[in-house]
Amino acid sequence: MLSSVDGFGPSLSVGTGHLAVHILEDDAGVSDSLLMLFRNLGLEATAYPDAESFFETAKPKKDDTIIVDLLLPGISGATVITWLKGLREPPRIVAISGQAQSAIERQLKDVGPVELIRKPLSIQTLSTIV
Amino acid sequence: MDDRIKAAPAADKTVSEARLMSVLNTAVDGIIVIDEQARILLYNQACEKLFGYTPEEVAGQNVKMIMPRDYAQAHDGYMHNYMTTGHRKIIGIGREVRARHKNGTEFPVELSVGEASTPDGRQFIGLLRDLRSRKEAEQRVNDLQSELVHLARVSAMDEMGAALAHELNQPLTAIMLYLQAVSRSLDKRNDAANETFKSVLAKAVHEAERAGNIISRMRQFVEKREPNRRPVDLNHVVGEAVELTLVGLRHRVNVKSTFAPGLPKAFAEPVQIQQIVVNLLRNASEVLKDREDGLVTVSTGQDGSFVTITVEDNGPGIPPAAMPTLFKAFSTTKTTGMGLGLSISRSIAQNHSGDLIVDPGGHGRGARFTVQLPAASREEEAEAGL
Repeated sequence: MLSSVDGFGPSLSVGTGHLAVHILEDDAGVSDSLLMLFRNLGLEATAYPDAESFFETAKPKKDDTIIVDLLLPGISGATVITWLKGLREPPRIVAISGQAQSAIERQLKDVGPVELIRKPLSIQTLSTIV
Repeated sequence: MDDRIKAAPAADKTVSEARLMSVLNTAVDGIIVIDEQARILLYNQACEKLFGYTPEEVAGQNVKMIMPRDYAQAHDGYMHNYMTTGHRKIIGIGREVRARHKNGTEFPVELSVGEASTPDGRQFIGLLRDLRSRKEAEQRVNDLQSELVHLARVSAMDEMGAALAHELNQPLTAIMLYLQAVSRSLDKRNDAANETFKSVLAKAVHEAERAGNIISRMRQFVEKREPNRRPVDLNHVVGEAVELTLVGLRHRVNVKSTFAPGLPKAFAEPVQIQQIVVNLLRNASEVLKDREDGLVTVSTGQDGSFVTITVEDNGPGIPPAAMPTLFKAFSTTKTTGMGLGLSISRSIAQNHSGDLIVDPGGHGRGARFTVQLPAASREEEAEAGL
């Protein structure tokens, strides 16, 4: 993984052909800015406002990164993560949340270990995950 | 007359006198008999403990010696008033007064005074009940109550803080990412105009980060106060709360506790759970205050992955009209209080990942409140070193 995105652009995609990022986030501003950021980094990025639309259209592959907001309308972020972890070849999963630590812990209690980034997100923290 | 003061039965005492002395010295309350001149004629063993004087020290002395200065100064006047007017201000009425120990400390006592006509003249009998333990219990209940109010404020603030942090984080995240994305695009090109844009964008990013730090600090502040939950023995916690409530209750009510043996530990902050129990018990006793057969049943049990506390009364139940707002803050059917008890109790239970539910009863059944709390997992128990 790159620790900095200074050399962003073609160098990021070296070796993988394409890196896809799926963003599950119901907040339009967060979702749109994340899309912009990842596309700027030369990644293939798609956003979904809820888990349902993600399950309908996406087939996450092993090399993909799925960014999941814990507070989603309908099917919860924790349920999505559990489902993804159960895949034969699970993708990279990153949970994001702006909630209090205790609320996050409560939701992730039955999910097991998962990478978590707390909002507000910044380009520095995000660049370390892709 | 002085020999009557002494506790030990003397040879010349009659059987009935010996019996009287034995009764007086068995009494838990202090008993003092004075004559019309307020001189102490009789002073039982309980008084020795209360006031620190021996019977010999007080015999024949004015009763003022066991009163604080202000009462002592007024006492002669009180006696004189009664003797001349016959107007009763304390006799047969009783009230809470302060008493004075030999060492000078003052303490509250419940004083009742009776009067007897004897061949030796009028005598007054004072019964003194030490109120210190009751006062301390009241104080404890008051402390608990104010802690409850304080906690309610704190938890309202915490909830608001956490909600604010979350809501503000969303737009702030978008702002920071947009700004950073744009400055990165500008990085690719190099000309003078870009430099200005880039420096302004850098400043904007810096300000957005500053706002983000403020939110993080606010969140940390809220999280620092996260309750101190651990695996606790629910029966012990509830038993203590029942005991504490009973001493503070204004009207007597029968409370029956049935504690389920071998319960798993609850994962909870004990003092918060006690606040729920105290609150439910006080509500129940308030409902039952005019009933002779009032009974509150407190029980513990298990329901799936929850351990439960149930408080049930045999009152009339909760009227259907009160149900929709029962758990809402500031809605109360009582004439006193703010109507916060049930709403706080429920939010405490819910913050513990549990709940507070009610079966309103009615048609001859009383109300039943059930607190559900998550049972501690094995890992939690292990972590707590149990």
